Order: sequence, then structure tokens, then C-alpha cells
Amino acid sequence: MAILHDVIPPFQLFQPSSLDEAAELLEAYGDDAWIIAGGMDSFDWLKDRTKRTEVVVELGQVPELQGIREVDGGLEIGAMTTLTDIAESAIINERFSVLAKAAGLVASPQIRHQGTIGGNVSQDTRCTYYRSGWTCYRAGGNTCYADTPTAVNREHAILNASRCVAVSPSDTAPALVALDAQMVIRRGSRERVVDAVDYFVGPDLDITRMTVLEHGDLLTSIRMPATWSGARFYFEKVRDREVWDFPLVNIASAVRESGGRIEEARVVVGAVAARPLRLRAVENALAGQLVNTQTIARAGELAIEGARPLRFNGYKVPLMRNLVQRAVRGGPVTGTA
Amino acid sequence: MGDNKLVGRNYTTPDLLAKVTGRAKYAEDFRVDGMLYARLLLSPLPHARVRSIDTSAAEAMPGVRAILRASDLPAPADVVTDLGERIAANPKGEQALSDEPLYAGEPVLAVAAVDEETAAAAIEAIEIDFEPLPFVVDPLVTLRPDGPNARTDGNCWGRPAGEPSAPIDVQVMKWASADFGEVDEGTLPEGEHQDEWAFGDLEAGFRDSAVVLDETFSTANNQHHVLEPRSALAYWRNGKLYMHTGTQSTVQTVASIARWMRLDVEDVVLITEYTGGGFGSRATGAVICTVPAVLSQMTGSPVMMRVSREEEQYIGGIRPALHGRVKAGFASDGRLLALDLFVVGENSAYEPQGDASFAGNIVSLLYQPRAMRSRATTVLTNTPPRRAQSQPGGMQGITIMEPVVSKAARELGIDQVDIRRVNAPVSKAPFGPAFGNNRAYCTSAFLREALDLGVELFDWETRKARSGRRNGSKVRGSGVSVSTFVAGSTGFDGLFVIKPDGKMYVQSGVGNLGTESFSDVHRVAAEMMGLPWEKVEVAWGDTSQNLPWTCVSGGSQTTHAMTRAAHAAASDAIAKAQEIAARALGGSPASYRIADEGITNGTRSMTLAEVARRAVELGGRYDGHELPDDINEFTTRSATALAGQGLMGVARDAYSRDGTTFSFVAGFAEVEVDVETGNYHIVDYMAVGDSGTIIHPRSYGGQILGRSILGMGHALAQKTVYDQHYGLPLATRMYQSRPPTILDIPRNMKWEAVNLPDPESPVGAKGIGEPPVAAGAAAILNALSAALGDDMFRRSPVTLDNILMALEHGRPMQEPLTAHI
Amino acid sequence: MSQDDEQTPRSEPTPVTRRTFIKGVIAGGVAVSSAAYLFRNSPLLTGRAARAGSVERLVTLSVNGQTRRVDVAPQETLANTLRYKLGLTGTKLGCDRAECGACTVLVDGVPRYACSVLTHTVRTREIQTIEGLAAADGTLHPVQQGVVEEQGFQCAYCMSGFIMAAVGFLNKNPEPTREELAHGVSGNLCRCQDYDKILTALERGAEISREVARG
Repeated sequence: MAILHDVIPPFQLFQPSSLDEAAELLEAYGDDAWIIAGGMDSFDWLKDRTKRTEVVVELGQVPELQGIREVDGGLEIGAMTTLTDIAESAIINERFSVLAKAAGLVASPQIRHQGTIGGNVSQDTRCTYYRSGWTCYRAGGNTCYADTPTAVNREHAILNASRCVAVSPSDTAPALVALDAQMVIRRGSRERVVDAVDYFVGPDLDITRMTVLEHGDLLTSIRMPATWSGARFYFEKVRDREVWDFPLVNIASAVRESGGRIEEARVVVGAVAARPLRLRAVENALAGQLVNTQTIARAGELAIEGARPLRFNGYKVPLMRNLVQRAVRGGPVTGTA
Repeated sequence: MGDNKLVGRNYTTPDLLAKVTGRAKYAEDFRVDGMLYARLLLSPLPHARVRSIDTSAAEAMPGVRAILRASDLPAPADVVTDLGERIAANPKGEQALSDEPLYAGEPVLAVAAVDEETAAAAIEAIEIDFEPLPFVVDPLVTLRPDGPNARTDGNCWGRPAGEPSAPIDVQVMKWASADFGEVDEGTLPEGEHQDEWAFGDLEAGFRDSAVVLDETFSTANNQHHVLEPRSALAYWRNGKLYMHTGTQSTVQTVASIARWMRLDVEDVVLITEYTGGGFGSRATGAVICTVPAVLSQMTGSPVMMRVSREEEQYIGGIRPALHGRVKAGFASDGRLLALDLFVVGENSAYEPQGDASFAGNIVSLLYQPRAMRSRATTVLTNTPPRRAQSQPGGMQGITIMEPVVSKAARELGIDQVDIRRVNAPVSKAPFGPAFGNNRAYCTSAFLREALDLGVELFDWETRKARSGRRNGSKVRGSGVSVSTFVAGSTGFDGLFVIKPDGKMYVQSGVGNLGTESFSDVHRVAAEMMGLPWEKVEVAWGDTSQNLPWTCVSGGSQTTHAMTRAAHAAASDAIAKAQEIAARALGGSPASYRIADEGITNGTRSMTLAEVARRAVELGGRYDGHELPDDINEFTTRSATALAGQGLMGVARDAYSRDGTTFSFVAGFAEVEVDVETGNYHIVDYMAVGDSGTIIHPRSYGGQILGRSILGMGHALAQKTVYDQHYGLPLATRMYQSRPPTILDIPRNMKWEAVNLPDPESPVGAKGIGEPPVAAGAAAILNALSAALGDDMFRRSPVTLDNILMALEHGRPMQEPLTAHI
Repeated sequence: MSQDDEQTPRSEPTPVTRRTFIKGVIAGGVAVSSAAYLFRNSPLLTGRAARAGSVERLVTLSVNGQTRRVDVAPQETLANTLRYKLGLTGTKLGCDRAECGACTVLVDGVPRYACSVLTHTVRTREIQTIEGLAAADGTLHPVQQGVVEEQGFQCAYCMSGFIMAAVGFLNKNPEPTREELAHGVSGNLCRCQDYDKILTALERGAEISREVARG
């Protein structure tokens, strides 16, 4: 709502030059500290004056957060690695191309040159009510404005809604979940590792956060095991415009096949729920199956079981079904059928 | 003009170097010593009244210099026309600030401070008690018997019955419950309406028809989103107001500012050399510029008011959505025999835009129905001001009509181009209502030629053959649309001086918003004077530089109007030069002609430089000391200031014109739909224009394709979104309102022009800014229905969710008539 | 669910009561501070001393090959520093929200939205703006030259951003196809929609760049 949605209010700016220093600052300032990586999520809140902060901790000078390293056949990617660096990385394209493709489809070139993978996976939802400052559950209020008979909820969730119907807007998140990635989180002097699929939080667990990160936590790097290196990947992002727009639905999948049969698969769909959804029922149904018409059709039907469309997002149901089918098939339907 | 050296040729406009080096200054690029910064406080509610305001905390903040309320602004003055007619100011019209905001986002007050941070903090410290008032954001909801009204006194504008010259006032219009019977199925009710006209025998037309269709189609509201917001810098010097702001005109903006500020026009100086787009939203400036003007008066300091993108989308203008019901009867050859058009237009709570009414006029010209009735109603909602946007009313009317024509062609088994060709206007074709036995008509129309050219260049037959053929998940379709809009006015003034240095100094009053007309039109004068372009200097953008009375760069009128004015001024200079030559060299004036930067009768010659020197010696008419009676007072003032400097060409365009000037465009598009996602992209597009003589090809190409893309945006994804329950906007960012990006359009677009001169203008040139818009929009829609079949959508834009759901369910699933979704 | 449990038919009006306004916005007509429309409202900072470790305000920037010393607030964006403190107004503000590209500049040769860069994060970088493209003697950069030759752009408010994005892109991809070039400048919006002519102008600029490089 209006009044004034412009002019970024003043804050204190800290630019730590090491991971230790960053962790200390976050511990010291607790709730008062706001982390800025690429800033693409943060500036929207701060410039609109919808959220405020007294202290910003900017991570651009922390060397430990940069870089792509080989580790045991897999990779470890610093959280501050830009999306462009990921999209253009030879080694990521060679082994985990699904992530490179996802990163390359985010927003626009200038945003990719600055936005980071850590920021992209940790970003806040883009529900327009929430972003405009309406006092909903996610904002600490006691209602959801998007899930009403009169709300315009074209971009909202069809699955796993729990009072809140916002969706996860990240493109890299489904790819990381599909790759069985792990998120390395530092808090003070301690480090913990969380599986990507558990990094994201749904409203049933905590309606005010999109990830497990709390004040004082810092995502330092993302690890990809060698597991899915070189698998058959599929990534597709469906959106209105070809630039800038967030996904209406996206999908990342990794399939290991042998002799035309699927050994194991990961199928992860984004922007249909508050977290990137790993479709375990679909994955289980695919294991051991030939890639044929029945398998493809079944995968699609399983994927959308339990979907609950709202007034304006019913299209996400067939869209999700069709994307899952494409992922299994390896592309769009062919022939003139 | 067959052997033209200038007209019809490309060249580098005089503003390009400044633009390309970043030296060009737009309004917010200026800095003045001691400048204060103003920011706006916007209404959080769709309709409210300010009960009380406490600004004490804000005023106490160091650095806060003034707080401006609506009551601090001058009440706008009446308009006095050239004929001395007084048109009373509308007391309920849009102002810069309001204590009864009528839309969420409306500016309520402004704060001036030493910097933006202080102004912003001050705004947040202001305590406002708003009384919420009833609101509505859907035109069909307010028309219901118990629907809320946007204003406390009503939901439409009108005049008391039988008083056509009374000022408009707010009235109430309600339809009966029974009228809404089929609205949920997507049939637009036809209740009470405001405007109506008709000609021909509608009943007979339907009777004679082979196919009769009854269709409803809705277009969306669309923000102009000019890239440069309407920021403004204002300061006062020696009693004059200096204003830096973007606009689509110069002297006419001075007239607006003077009226808003209750100043004499001589006391306003406008600096507007560069404007970042207009599209109709700032034809004569924007009333918000009075905020820094008054703040500057209050504080004694210059005041810069930066308008943010979000503010711009509120006050910057929106094209109104139109709901249209079309009952059309076609003969077996496709000829349109009867057209019954009913249009409901959405408006803000402020001055009505004429889009709903004008739609019928445009459609009547474009399809030449044998009989037609046009009924239109415009109702008010609590949404931001509607402003004319490129092809206002015409774009929507054509977009509503085109799917009907396409469907008729398919039912009749006729080619899509042929059905538009058989109905196309030719020569002086009529449009609009009948007055007795007479109807207005256009000056010329070469639309058939444009269609024929397009068929050939777009390879229509090949593309048509593959329409609807499924290939994997993809299916392609090709469509064509025709379009038209007014493209020329008359009666403005040309002014230039050829000085003793042999150069032409042109005073260009045309706004520089990107059309390049500010320079292009003067090529006509230079051509007539036989001067190379290097010898021409154009002054533009600063009204203290003695600019003549010039049209607004809106309504596609500039190319036509100002080439005529340039022609008139050049003719004036040539006549004077002939007289001067005859006096100096002997013989009759008529024996002299312009050649080689001089004037000659074959045996004796003078250079134009010499003619200029002689003009100064002779004074009187030759150098501007005596001026024609029929030029505008603005021109008189400017010409007077320039007197005595050389040979002056100054004249009013008094050329005759038989008819109203229109330009025509045929747009051809091929799209490819992915049936698994509903997504589609435009594979190819071409536009062919009939705009008379082309003055500057590259500039023309930029316009015809650029405006086609504006139309494509209306088909692809661009629209406003509101939560009707709260009356609040939801698409407040561009990633939500979705103007087209470079990747949303075809990579190689083509254009062509028929290039046949309009016979009613000495130069033969017509405008092009607006006719392409509907061509771009409707060609896409027609291509989609060629790919997917009829009845897949009934409103625009058509987004992937609409297509996917229609494919899944076999019919359009999008709510047909709900506004702002 | 919200307080509105009743199904509201689409074209029916909703009776207007106090309940139909957002909770927390207006409460019974009581005077509300405009700041109450916001949540998570922190006390606004006025006159607080800088904490130890926070950035120094006076910084040295390298802009267009020149060293510039300037006072920069912590929250200040590069676009604001360029436009308001360094007098370089060629970089435009179209949206200030990273969705139009009019503010694109080069930071170490990489196109970035200056509106979304905190100036303090580019203290040690080379910043290049539109004003820094032409040579000191006025010779235009090849991309600028291409624009002039093809009469690219209309109102030109987007022009600086497009040109900088193109220069940055061409430095890494000197021989792009028209399709690749479009992707290279896809983060730039033009509302005059001059995209087709812009691409032709930038293609010409790329061609001239290659000619110049060949010598």
C-alpha cells in the first residue's frame, strides 16, 4: 500500500573481510543484522521501506564464500558465487548442467552478474500481497490475503499450502534439490550441513521463513556430491516474459538410466508450493521402469495428486503434469499425434 | 518531390550525438544551487477523505522546508479558446494533490526538504486520519443496482438532459438486475448508455447476412510506463516560473502550466529538450509539476521533485479497458453489412477519456459497415487516471472487432486478408455518424495496397498453409490485422530565419519525446529552400528560444501538421526571396526560382546569404518586423523577438484539406504455441503502412515497428491487476505488469510503406505514431486463433494460463468480464 | 481464511464496512501515523554515531579512468553517487528496482544495474559510464558510432544502459549473432519499443568494433 515506497532508509554498513569476522558480526547484532549478498532480494524490501534494518552485513569481501572447488568428484560452490559464474562454469556445465541451465535463466544478465547462488536459494517469496507490505501470516499477522475468494492468486501454490499459499520463486533451488546438494551453514564458530531438500521450510513448519536460516546463521557454501554427475538432466522454466519474470512453474530432474530403464531419478518442481517439491512418489514410480508412454503419463498423474487449485492458478495443475512428463521423456512431446 | 535530397532520405538527427554521449539532459538530470527535494505522500486507500492531518513532527525535523497540501495549490483556471470561448474548469477534475483521494496511490501531499532521506522520513512522521469511503474497481460492479460508486455523488460524467452545452458533472448510472442475465457466460450486458449514433438500416443488414455473430471481447487496462518518470524541477527568477519536465509539446505545455498556476504565458519558461517517452500520457505536460512550482514559491528555493517508478504507474497514465459486444452480419463474400457495437469503458474517478466513444468511429472507418450502430458508456472506478495512450479507443475497438472478423472469415471459408480487403476503406471513405445525408470522410486510404504488399512480402500463402498444423508440442498460426487512426491536424505555424551567413535557423516547437519529428518536419523547409542539411540549425525544447505555435505530439498529428506549417513558412520565404531578387536584379518575382542555395532567373542570381542581408536592410515583412495577421499569438511573440536577423519565413498552415487525415497499417504475424505449456512466441511480424509520403525512413521504421510492439505487449502479457475486495493494485512492479522485453518479440521484424502521397496536403505526409498499435495486438490474437481455433479466448492479453486451460477444457476458462485480473 | 468466508460472486458488489479494510491499516477512524502502514517498523535512524567497524564515508572511486574522492552514505547506490555526487547524469534512473536497465554501467567491464549496487561495494573497482566511452578528442566508441549510423533509439532514455550493456557483452563476445546480441542486452527495457532498430544499431556497433580491432 502506498504512502511512500521509495528512498532507502539509512543503515550502518559492515563489510567483513573474513568468514570469522562475518560470523562474529552476525552473532553480535543478532536480530538487528541483515545479510546482503547480491542484494537483489534485499533492495526490494529496503527501497520500498516495507522492511527496515539498522545494520547491514555485506559479504562481497569474504574470500571463503567465493569459488568453485572440486571435492571428491563432486563440487563445493561458495555461496557468494554469482549466477553468471555458475551458468558459465565449465565444470558445472560438464557434470551438473542442470544447475548451470537453471542459473542462466534467472532474471536478466545484469542481475546474474551480481546475484549469488546463496541469495537465489535463500530468497524470500514473491507473493505480491506479502511483498507489498500487507500484514499477512508471513508478515506476523493473522490472515492470508491471497487465499480468499476475491484475491488474485495466479502465481500462488497448488500444493502443500498451510494457511499461506506463497510459492518458492528460486530457479536454482529445484536443481540443487535434484542434485542431492547439501547446504553448509555457519553459526558463530560452528558449522552444520543440511540436505538441500530440508533447507527449505514450508508454512506448516514456520510460516514466517522460507529456509531454515535464522538470525545469526550464514550459508557459506553448497556441496554437490558426485552422485548425479553426468546424469540425464532436464530443466525448464515456464514464465510469461523471457526476461526478469519469476517462474510460474519450473522443474529440475536428474535421471540415471541403463538399457532404456530408469535406475533412479530425482524430480523437483518449483513455484507450486512454498518449497521446491521433491516428488518422491514420482521418483519411486519411475525406479526400474522403461521410459515409455505409460511411464511418462503415470509420472504426470502422480505428480499432481492432491493439487488444490485456487481461483486463478488452476493452470498450474496441467502445467506441472506436463512438465513432469517432459522431464521423464527428456523433452516436449514429438510427432504429429 | 521526386529528386529529393532531404525528404525521404535518412540522416542523423541533431539530438543524436548528445543522446549517445550521455550529455542530453532530461528533467531530473538538472541541478541548481540550493535545490530542495520534494517527495509525495500517496493514498493507501482507494477512496477516502482526509479528516485531519498532524504535520507537527514532520515540520520539527531539521531539514524539512515545506509541506504542501491540496489547498495550497492554485485552483485551475478556465480554458479560453482561440475564439474567445470560455470553458469552465472542472472543480471535480484531477488535481496534483487531493484531500479526498479517489484511487490508491493518489498523491495527497508533498514534502520539500534538503534531501530525499529527510523528505521521506518526514512523510512517515505525518499523522493522517483517513475516513474510508465506498469504493469500486470494476465498471460492471458499479453498474449493478446496488453497486458502490467511485465518487460520493455518482459513477459517471454527464450533462443534464437537454442541455448539451452545460458543463459535465457527476451523475449516477445503474443498470437493472435483469440486464446482467448472461454476464457470467461472458456476454456483455447492454444496459443504459451515454452515447449513441447510427447510420444505415441495421435490420436489413442482418437480414441480408450469410453469417451473423454475437461476440463479447474485453481489453485490459495498461499503464503507459514511459521510461522517464514525470519528475520536474521548478524555480522562479524575476517573477517567471522556470520548469524542467518531460512533455510531448512545448508552447502548448506552457499554456497548460500557465493555466494550472494562474500565470500569464509570458511568465512561464519551459525547458524540455529531451523527454523519455510520452505515448499520450503527457501531451501538454502533467499537472503534478505544479507541486515543485508551488513548493518553490513557498520556500524561495528551486525544488526538484523526483517521481519514482511506482508513483509513475499511478499518476503516469493508463489506457482504459474496454468491454465490447459486437453483433456483426457478413455477406457471403465477407462484406460487413451490419455492425451493432456496444462498448463499456472503464475510467478513473476523474475526467472521462473518450476511448469508449471513439472506438466506434475508428471501427466504422476501418471496416466500412453498410449499416452501423455505436453505443458507448464510460463509468468511473477508483483506479488511477486514464490518459490517451497511442491510438486511444481505436486500439481497443479494433482489438475487439478483429477476432469477430477472423471468425466470420473462417465460417464463410474466406481468406483472412480477403475479408479485410473487401471491407477496407478506399479513397475518401466515410466514418462515424451521419449528419443528415452526410458523413465525415478520410482524405485518402491506401489500405488495400498495404494489404497486397504485405501478402507478398510476408509470404502469406506459405504461412497460411501451415497454420494449425501440429508438430510435436508446437502448433503455428498466422494472422493479419488492419488498423487505422487519425494522423494529421492543421492550422499551426512555421517559423525560421535564413541569416546572412547563409544558414537556416529553424524554430521547432515540436516536443522531442523520441519521434524525431522535432527535426524531421523541417527537412521539408530546407528542401524547398534548396539548402543542404549541414546549413540548417534547429532550435528546440526551450520556450525562451522563441518557438512558434505548434501542435502537440499526440494523435499522430505532427508529421502532417508541421510539414504543412514548414511548407507554408518556406513558401512565404520563397515569395519574399523572389521579391527581393526582382528588386535587386530586375525582372518579375515569378521568374525567379530557388537553386543552389540561391535564387535565380536563369541569367541573374543571388545567394540566399545575400537575400538575407537585403531582407534586413528592407525590414518590414522581409525580416519579421511586419508579421501576418493569422499566426498565433505565441508565434507573433517569438517572431517579433527574432525580427531583423535575416530573411524570415513565417506563416500559418492555411492550406485547405478535404476530409480528416488518417493513416492505415496492415500487420501480419506468425506465432508458435507450445500446447504442453500454453506458452507461445511470435515467430515473425511485418507491418505495412499507408502514411502518405515518408519523410524520414529510419524514423518511420522505428515508429511502425515500435508501436506494433506496444500493441504486441497488450496481446502478450501486459495489464493492471487489482484486488477487487480491497481496491488495491497488485501489479505494482514491472515484473508484474509485464511490458515486453527484447526477447518477447521476433528477432527480425520487417516493415514497408506504400509511400503514396496524401492528396490533401502539399507535402503528402501523414503521421504513423498510433495506427500500428492495434495491428500489432490483433495480428497476434488472430495468429493465435489460426493456430488453435476460434473461441479459445475472449479477452486480451492472452497468457499461457489462458491457453493451457482452454486447451484442457475445450473452452475459455478465464473469467470473461471481471476487471483487473 | 480471512474474515470473508462468504463466496463473493464475481460481479456482485461487496458491502463496504470497516471490516473490508486491511487490519492494522485503519482502526475505527483513529488517527494513525502513516508509518503504521508498515510492519517490522524499526526506529528510524537519526543522528546515531557510526559503530566501530562500519564503513568510512569518504571513499575514492575510479570512474571513467579518473580518481574521484566522494562522501558516500552506507545505503547509497552507485546510480545515486554517479548522478548526484559526480555530476554524471548520463546514467538514468528508470525504475530504481533492477527491472529496466537504464542505469547499466560497467564495473570491471561487467554490466551491472547501478541502482542496485551499493557504492561501498565498488570502491576498488573500475567503473565506466556512458560519459567514459568516447575518447578525449570526442571520437565515439564503435558502439556509439553504430548507433549514430543507424539512427538507433527514439526517446533515448534507455540508450545509455543499452550501450553499456552492449559494450560489456561485446568485450566478451565480439562476434555475436543477432540472437546472441539480443540475449546480451536482454536486461534492458525500451518503452518506445525500438528493439528492432536498436539491435540493428548495436550490430553495426559490433561490426565497427571488429573493424577497429583488426586495425
